[in-house]
Parts: sequence; structure tokens; C-alpha cells
Amino acid sequence: MADTAFRPKLAAVVTVYRKYSHGQHIVDRFLEGYGWNGKYHHPEMDLVSLYVDQHPKDDLVPDRAARFPQMKVYPTIAEALTRGTGKLAVDGVVLVGEHGDYPRNEKGQTLYPRYEFFQQIVEVFRASGRSVPVFNDKHLSWSWDHAREMYDTARSMKFAFMAGSSLPVTWRIPSVEMPAGARVREALCICWGGVDSYDFHGLETIQCMVERRPGAETGVKWLQAYRGDNFWNAHKEGVWPRELFNAALCRSHTLKPAREGFNDIFPSFDDMRRLVAAPVAYRYEHNDGLRCTMMLMNGLLEDFNFAAQLEDRREPFSTQMYLPMPPARTTLANFFSPLVNGMEKMYLTGRPTYPVERTLLTTGLTEAGVNSLYKGQTRVETPHLAISYKPTAESTFWRS
Amino acid sequence: MITRRTFLESAVVSAAAPALAQTEPKRIAIITTIYRYLSHGQHIGDRFLIGYPFNGSWHKPDMKVVSLYVDQKPEGDLSQQRAHEFGFQVYPTIAETLRCGGNKLAVDAVLIVAEHGDYPRNEKGQTLYPRFEFFDQCAKVFEADGRAVPIYNDKHLSYSFDKARTMVETSRRLRFPMLAGSSLPVTWRLPDLELPLNCEIGDALMVGCGGSDAMDFHALEAMQCMVERRKGGETGVKSVQLIEGDAVWKAGDEGRWSKDLLSSALSRSDSPMGFSVTDGRPQDLVASGEIKKLTPHPAAYFIEYRDGFRATLLMVEGAVKDYTFAARLKAAPEHVSTQFFLSPVPNVTYSACLVNKIEQMFSTGVAPYPVERTLLVSGILESCLTSKVQGNRKLGTPQLDVRYQAPPTSQYART
Repeated sequence: MADTAFRPKLAAVVTVYRKYSHGQHIVDRFLEGYGWNGKYHHPEMDLVSLYVDQHPKDDLVPDRAARFPQMKVYPTIAEALTRGTGKLAVDGVVLVGEHGDYPRNEKGQTLYPRYEFFQQIVEVFRASGRSVPVFNDKHLSWSWDHAREMYDTARSMKFAFMAGSSLPVTWRIPSVEMPAGARVREALCICWGGVDSYDFHGLETIQCMVERRPGAETGVKWLQAYRGDNFWNAHKEGVWPRELFNAALCRSHTLKPAREGFNDIFPSFDDMRRLVAAPVAYRYEHNDGLRCTMMLMNGLLEDFNFAAQLEDRREPFSTQMYLPMPPARTTLANFFSPLVNGMEKMYLTGRPTYPVERTLLTTGLTEAGVNSLYKGQTRVETPHLAISYKPTAESTFWRS
Repeated sequence: MITRRTFLESAVVSAAAPALAQTEPKRIAIITTIYRYLSHGQHIGDRFLIGYPFNGSWHKPDMKVVSLYVDQKPEGDLSQQRAHEFGFQVYPTIAETLRCGGNKLAVDAVLIVAEHGDYPRNEKGQTLYPRFEFFDQCAKVFEADGRAVPIYNDKHLSYSFDKARTMVETSRRLRFPMLAGSSLPVTWRLPDLELPLNCEIGDALMVGCGGSDAMDFHALEAMQCMVERRKGGETGVKSVQLIEGDAVWKAGDEGRWSKDLLSSALSRSDSPMGFSVTDGRPQDLVASGEIKKLTPHPAAYFIEYRDGFRATLLMVEGAVKDYTFAARLKAAPEHVSTQFFLSPVPNVTYSACLVNKIEQMFSTGVAPYPVERTLLVSGILESCLTSKVQGNRKLGTPQLDVRYQAPPTSQYART
């Protein structure tokens, strides 16, 4: 466990801190603790400073600041990191640029200021001649160029950098890991949510599994998006394997009943056409030939289901990445607990718990998906996504 | 006394008995109180009609529902609609349902789902579902026609232990396999925790919510499926006591139940109420004391087993909305704990986990886990509720001399 002599001090830089925003889920777990491994766990570190970009009516900052006086709220990112000392005065930074009122561009991307926040953070690092680990929630940026620059900056300044979604680290039902060295022929995720939003989570769901294939990750060469009729035609033509599609659906706990009076019924093609007004798929090919498909099927289900065809296995390999999602099903978004636990490990050890390259790749895939949709669902070549990395040897998803 | 051994003997005899037509799909009769959307009768019965998700595919049982008895047909009744669509008959009596309108038993298995519907309650708060009566009518047909087939009984066997015991004895006498109980023992666990067979358990605590006598049964059976794996196997229950209100917290202060185990169990909860509802924050309900404020009517069910082991169910309606368990094993320094995962409405896929077990018994003639578990829990629940109406006094339970061995293979969903 932790070196008892070292109790890190953290700064959190977030867009907004209100109920069920990512800022609340993540920062609260550092302040309030959370259930972990059968105990109520308090991170062995102190979140001492907070910058919040927007303060809407239901802002929780006053409550949290009052109840946790060791945490000071600062008006700028630089001050949150320097805490009145004029130089970097924390041992780690939590960057949560999700939720809040930010503009959208013509492609439908929300322009969350993750890159801008990151730049302000590294400016303090540069000025202080010292860098500390940074976690960035979700994808690195809506822009590939920004994301790449963030990644390169962390590399050149040699600080630990982690990012991504909760999907790779949450419970799996069933609790299975992609067998190490499994030869994956095809992989697919059926999930829900919006473009430039949950598509990223679906891509991380796939990537955390397929990155374990022999030869590790080598990147992606092209992506094509499908929407509406193109989606249904591709489905009918078998562009993605029907067997995997069905297997993923059979892992769902939230299938919308296709017929009145039935509570759990497998949908026909016509049922799906009726239930899903605007389906979206991103299909892409890795440099080693592996093909994957991420699908958003709003109206059909509300969970994240993965299926893959493995070379040495007749039946599809499948599971659900389970999100205990409030407010309908739970009161806590406890899938943030394994995410925060992974962050804690980085702040204590100075090493990322899993590779940020995964999220660099999924950031690029998300942007490529958005671009393909924007360009009339044309195939987008992605030479910039020739990203190689090795996964962690140990599993990092929640199972204890 | 009912033992696992006699049960297995009866199961083997029945499994060897000739069925109606071995090559044809098994013929199933459904006997239910009501068949309305989201009633147990509907979501369990439908899975035999349209299949269910299992092991990553949509599994269709190789069985045919041939007849249905529905005791009540309230607004929203789906029985005729299902019968029409799936080509079976709804009969006015249970005997006719089992004989499919003929003069002798004409099915290979019976699914009894007597949960939901409008039935009276007794002074203990037990809903008097006619499970015994339904079962008894089935058994009478078996006796009259000289052949018996497997029966699954949903939830506890009966509100009355005497009736429950008669049911199990009847299944032994007539030599047919029987399965019963809740979905909780067979649903997913978060995390995937099974207690080692023959482990020594120091203490165990189950945390549940909801009303009695519906949800406390589920919680008690979830606890039982864990603690039955202790060394020596299940030997029955010596006494029970149900206490309520402030006495529950006082008992915790006095160490009659373990606050540490409560903390462990609640660390597995995804649904603490109070501040988590107000503003989303995670909470240690035990350390903060919030659990007392959130639970206006707590109840503790103390179970003292015949081998000296003690376990407790805490029903904390208002504090959480899920079902969690924690135990102290003598061989392990840390507590073990898990959540019994009740997947969302309306799919309630946990009932698919249960239907797979029912299907397994119908198809093999062998119950995957002993009906004695449910018999014991039926008796524990009845005695706890008797304690409740008798001034919360401790009750000796010599009748709960129910012995059985846990199945060596884990039976809950994990694939």
C-alpha cells in the first residue's frame, strides 16, 4: 500500500460541481470517501484546492467548501495549483471537464475546455520547474490536435498522465476478462447515448478488451460511421456480424420491451427499426486487421454490452460493462469508484494505473466518428491513429 | 426429519421414471395466482414461452407450456391472450390443468407461481397466498393418476411452516423432485463472491429493505444460501427473535449484531438514501449515524442455528434500496461482502437466472439445490413474524430441525 510518509495533496479543476455531474462524482469520492473492497474507504490523500469554472444555481461548491474546510476554492486554475505560494503546491491534479454550459460546434461537439485547463496546468508546471501526475476525465479533447498535444506535452515533461471513461474499470456482468493473448476476430459494443458523448464510452468499452490481443495495440487505419437507413442497411447486409450483435443484446438488462405486456423479449429487426429512431454505428479497422463496431441504439437499451469473436472459441465472448446509474436504478454512480481508485494509485505511485494511449486512441476514434457523420458517413482514413501501446498485465476492472 | 439424502433418493427414482414422451418437448403446466404484466406469474411464465437471456444468447427452453390455471383475473389479465398466441388452454381448475382436460396427468412438470394477486393477510402481516392449496391439488392429481412430475414453487413454500413441511414430505412420499425459492440466491453477485464450502463462519449479516412478508423472505434466503456452506452443513435453527425500532440500534451497541459487518455490507450498496439522493454524495451511513435517521422502522431478525452459529438480517427500509451481505470467516482477516444484484425493471433478468434452474430440474429431474433451503427459510420467516407479534420475544424453534448439505457447485449466475 502507500508509503505512509507520503500523503499527496491534490488540486481539482472542474467545469461544474452539481449533483450527478462528473465533477461531483469524482471530487466527492476524494472528499467523502466511498465503498471499496468491503470497507468505507477514505483516499490516503487530501484534496486541498478546487477550481470550478461555472457556478450554476444548484452549485454544490458552497456546501462542500463549508463541510471540508481543508479544501480551499480558488478563482483561477493557477491559484488552485499554487495555493498562494507562487509555485506549484500540490502533488497531483484532477481535471474534470465534463458537464456545464459550453458551446457546441457545427459538428455537434461540445467544446469542453479540457485542453485549455490542461494548458493552464502545465503552465504552472513549467513556471515551477516541477510536474505532478494529472488525471483527465473522459476523452482528452474534442479535437485530435489538442489531444495529441496534451499527450506529447505529458511525455516531454515526463509527468504521469491518465484519462478515460469508467467503462473499462467498472463491474462486468459476468465478471470476465479478455483472455490474455486471445486472437480477436471481431468486436462490437451496443450501447446508448449521444454522439461526442457516450460514443466515447462505447469505444473505451471495446478498446479495453481488444487491446489485450497478441501483438498489443497498433492503432486504427480507417473508420466509417453509419446512421439511420445506412445503419439498418448495413445491419441487414451483415456489415457487422449478426451473431455478435445478438450476443451483445443478450447481455443487456435494459432491453426496451418490443411488445406491450412482455417485460423481456428479444427484439426482431422490425421491432428495432420501430424503437430506434436514430441508430449510429462507428465501424473501424485496426492496423493489424481487427474490425470493431460501436453502436448507439437509443430507444432499444440503456447499458453497455460487449461481444467479440475469438479465434479459439465457437461461441461469442460477451459481457456487460455495468454502470449502476442514478437516479433511476441507484442513488450513487459507483462506477466512479474504480475510476477514482485507479487515480489514487497514480497519485501515490507516480505511475499511471493503465496507459493513457488507450484514451488517446479512443479520443481520435470519437473525433473520427463525428467527422465521418459530418461528412455524410464517408469512410475516414486515420493514419494519425497509428498508436501503439501495451495493456497492463493485470486486470484493472472492478471485481473485488 | 427431512434430509438431503432422502431427497436425492427420491429425485433419482423420479428421474428414472418414464416420462410421457421422451423425444417430444417436455409439457409444462403453469399454476399461478395472476398473469398480469410484471407479476411473478407473467415474468417467470413468459420465459418458458419466449425464452430468456442466458450465457450470452437468447435461450429457448425445449419445453412447451400446454396448460394454465389462473386463480384471479384482474384488469390487465394476460392469460387468454397468451393462451391464444402460444396455443395452450386455460382451464378452470388445477386438476383439469394438469390433465389438460383429459382424465389423467398429461404434463411433465408443474410451475407454481403464487405471488401477487389479491389475498388476505393474517395478524402477522403474512399474505395468505394459496401455495399449499395449489400444491396439494397437484399432489392429489399425482396420487390419483399414479404418476408424479417435478414441481417448482416460487418463493417460500407457504406462510405456514407446517404446510411447507407437508409439501416437502409429500414430494418425498410421492417421489418427485421439487425446487422452490427466490431469485436472490441465483442472481449475479457484485463482486462475484462465494463462501468456500465447509468454511468456518464467525458471524454473518444480511441487509435488506422493503416490506414483510415479501422482501424479508428474499433477504433471508439470500443469507441462507451463503451461510449453508459452513462447516458441518445445515443442521437447522434453534431459536429466532425479531426486534424492532430503537431496540435494533441498542442491540448493535451491545454487540448482538456487528456494526463492522453492517459497514462492510453497506460498502456494497449503490443506493444509500438521504444525502446521496439530495446531492449525489457517497456516504458511510454507519459512521455518520445517518442510517438511524433514514430508517424509521428498523427490524433485526436474529437466527440462532442448532450448531451454535448466529446470523442476523437487518431490514432497513428507508436507508438503502438494495440487498447486501457481509460475513466474518474465521480463516480470513478481512470481512467478505457482496451485493445480490437485482437488475432493473422491467427486464428483471434475475428471474431468468431462476428460470434456468427451474428448467434444469424440469429437464433432468434433479433439483440443482435442495428445497430444504427454502423449507428452512419459510420456517425462519414464519417464526420471526410470530416473534414480532408476541412482543418481540425469543422463540425456540424445535420444529426447524431441517438438515441439508449445500450444493458443492455454485449455483448463482457468473457466466
